[in-house]
Amino acid sequence: MQGEKNLKQIADKVLKFSTAEETEVLLFVGNNSLTRFANNQIHQNVAWHDLGISIRIVNDKKIGVASTNAFDDESLKKLVDKAIELAKLQKPDKYFISLPDKNKIPKVKNIIYDAKEDELARGVYTVIKKAKINKLTASGAYANDNSEMAVANSRGVWAYHAGSSCNLSTIILGKSSSGFAADVARKVKGVDAEKVANIAIKKTLDSTEPQDIDPGEYEVILEPQAVSEMLAFFQWYGPNARIYHEQASCLSGQMGKQVFGENITIIDDPFHPDIFPMPFDYEGQPKKKLTIVQNGILKNIAYDSYYANIYKKKNTGHALPAPNTMGPIPLHLYIKPGNKTRKDMIKSVKRGLLVTRLWYVRVLNPKTLNVTGMTRDGTFLIENGKIVKPVKNLRFNQSIPKALNNVVSIENKLTRLASFEGELVNLMPTLHIKKWQFSSGTLF
Amino acid sequence: MRMLKLAEEILDKIPKVEYADVRIVDQENEDIATKDGIVEALASGHSLGYNVRVLHHEVWGFAASNDFSAKGIDATIKKAMEIANSSAKYKTTDVALDSQKSITASYKTPIKEDPFKVPLEEKIDLLLKADQAQKVSPKIVISQSTYQANKERKYFVSSNGSKIDQEIIWTGVGIEASAVSGAEFQNRSYPNSFRGQNQTQGFELVRELELEKHGGRVAKEAVDLLSADLCPSGEFDLILDGNQLALQIHESCGHAVELDRALGYEASYAGTSFLTPEKLFNFQYGSPIVNLTADATIPHGLGTFGYDDEGTKAQRTYLVKKGIFQDYITSRETSVELQKINPKYKKNSNGTVRASSWSRLPMIRMTNINLEPGGEEGTGKGWKLKDLIADTKYGIFMSTNRSWSIDDKRYNFQFGTEIGWEIKNGKLGRMLKNPTYQGITPQFWNSCDAICGRPEWTVWGTPNCGKGQPSQVMYTGHGASPARFRKVKIGVVNW
Repeated sequence: MQGEKNLKQIADKVLKFSTAEETEVLLFVGNNSLTRFANNQIHQNVAWHDLGISIRIVNDKKIGVASTNAFDDESLKKLVDKAIELAKLQKPDKYFISLPDKNKIPKVKNIIYDAKEDELARGVYTVIKKAKINKLTASGAYANDNSEMAVANSRGVWAYHAGSSCNLSTIILGKSSSGFAADVARKVKGVDAEKVANIAIKKTLDSTEPQDIDPGEYEVILEPQAVSEMLAFFQWYGPNARIYHEQASCLSGQMGKQVFGENITIIDDPFHPDIFPMPFDYEGQPKKKLTIVQNGILKNIAYDSYYANIYKKKNTGHALPAPNTMGPIPLHLYIKPGNKTRKDMIKSVKRGLLVTRLWYVRVLNPKTLNVTGMTRDGTFLIENGKIVKPVKNLRFNQSIPKALNNVVSIENKLTRLASFEGELVNLMPTLHIKKWQFSSGTLF
Repeated sequence: MRMLKLAEEILDKIPKVEYADVRIVDQENEDIATKDGIVEALASGHSLGYNVRVLHHEVWGFAASNDFSAKGIDATIKKAMEIANSSAKYKTTDVALDSQKSITASYKTPIKEDPFKVPLEEKIDLLLKADQAQKVSPKIVISQSTYQANKERKYFVSSNGSKIDQEIIWTGVGIEASAVSGAEFQNRSYPNSFRGQNQTQGFELVRELELEKHGGRVAKEAVDLLSADLCPSGEFDLILDGNQLALQIHESCGHAVELDRALGYEASYAGTSFLTPEKLFNFQYGSPIVNLTADATIPHGLGTFGYDDEGTKAQRTYLVKKGIFQDYITSRETSVELQKINPKYKKNSNGTVRASSWSRLPMIRMTNINLEPGGEEGTGKGWKLKDLIADTKYGIFMSTNRSWSIDDKRYNFQFGTEIGWEIKNGKLGRMLKNPTYQGITPQFWNSCDAICGRPEWTVWGTPNCGKGQPSQVMYTGHGASPARFRKVKIGVVNW
């Protein structure tokens, strides 16, 4: 790890090298290792280290961005010159006012945990051993990511954060079925490899020899992983100031209006006690809890400094790295829990499907947020409140806003889910949705 | 060659192992994006680093760093060795590699005009003009143009004695107009969606495509789509334009023939493949006119190079010949494994292993996966698109991808395109919005009864192919010309 002092020295040096009106420095450090397994053996075991820098230069509202991973003085000076040269050739952006000012960053604990190679391999072996006992085949990955990020600018911003994650995920394969499970924690000791193995193995065994089922409209119980996969595109195309104001979001023009069912509250909270906190965005601006939808009513969307300036709104601290052509994105969304246990939710279904995961979800139309995708790693038929049999995977075509207007009940707890890489985690409950459109089946 | 020498010095420091290779990768990129007359992104990037891959105790160890100091190199080698030692404790099988002769070679993408030497002002001006050309109606709410250029210098040395340096250059450019009316949102792109056309060419590609000339047309089509009829639902004949067929090939053939997937090595993330090894040489993947190749040697292909990242020479391989499944895309390790599983298989690696950067482990990646054009040996008649339409009584012609999704064994797929046209009695009729089609891969390819010929065949670039953990985004190519598929499930979505 580089540490805050070292990164600050680099940032200060680059700011001194710059003759531009305004300069922003973004530094990122990664120390990562990943042990990947398949067919009940480790087949990839890798480690990589990188230190990178990206700078944004502003002269007369003309912006240039350049990046490198070379840190000798000559390379850093060249980097500054390159960004200045780019800015010179730019056209002025009339909507750009300035880089953001210094704002107080909430304090969070920086936790770094550098796992030993053997620790990851041991966790993997736990999963493999259990799979073998059950005559199943384990695959998956155990990643240890350690990252540092720092942002500085010529208006006085300095922000530094360091964090780690240990993320074990597995898919256990049977002859006719598969099951998924994952766990994520700051340190290896927080990851329960036995539990991960047991959940995935149970899913695999329970979904052995799945039966054909006709596509059509079903009630569904979406487990937290499936809810997360559904909401990923809402996160990008929904409460994003750029897309919202382009009139291309399903939420465009709906501020203060009922957009989802009254039982839906969606919050972006980078400080939730069950996730790994992130105190600032890629412009070094403080993050804070933001209620996007409250009891179905659209309350807020995400802004960064650029879009806050254009639309005269408060910056909510959701900037991505420059140059950002995606818009500001809330990266810590969760749906407020309800009052039912998952068991009770299943009990209340007359005829429907229990879905473990969604797969390859893609947007058909960003405006209506119609998405398509497949079920994966355990899909089950529920009849009269009981799981009666595993079924083959199905393709769905579903509008997310329609689904969130048809939520019957929400689980009373949130499950922590990891992204496949990095420190980002999110929280999701199980959802019982009254209508979900399946359009075709597949052969397994 | 300074970098090649440095790579050799790193290799020399590696303790005695069964096999080792070192790659130094120096990547440079330039990105420009405009939106509504503003240059939204103007960025230049550079990344330099190296990796050490060792085969020790018959297992792999891999470590990568951008620290070229003696201490940094020692630490990286040590890490790779530690990783191999740690993996060895839990190994159940031994890694074996195919035989490979020592190679000393250089390769450089042949280009006419270095994109990094074209003045930035000129590029910005060209993109802004293309952006402006899209403003044909107040209903156009977003006009965009994008440009990217990439230069990758790779220096590979191995304990086999190989020394290879390569310079790969690729360029991409495109425009996209979005129109809105009430709840209706439509977009049109040129020459393709999702960052346009990308090829291993220089700036000549950008000049050839004449973006500004097409800006008004695509914008008008986006506006017209707002009031177009919805694509009908049913089982109809389908003609896919080359730019859509390229992604169809990518998803339903390219990923399905990755041998690491078929052997289960990608099961934990992207999934497996229905093309399991016992299907080799006997499975009817498509109709007899369907011939699919992996060809890393074709001019301009985004997956064209000299040598892969294991030092294997770029090749052309038939994956599907006259409809029968013939081969996978393979690596040095998996080709040996396949020979053990299916003794009829006798080949070494067909040279498809690449890594997205110095920090990533090389893995099997698509090169240029192509549907061979009609009119050539074993591919049936070489149709012209206009004749193919004239030969179709009722059907839909779809162009330019809008959405894509496929299951984790590559059977059930669904694609949406930006635009469609109804074909009635051999004539192209009304414009259709929101076209989609679904199918099961082998059924779909077995319904292919006509493929257009070489004059309408283009190598489309797919610069955003994701695979692996940690994730690697790779640039791949797909040669395709328009083709017809009989009785396809169309218009399945309830809008």
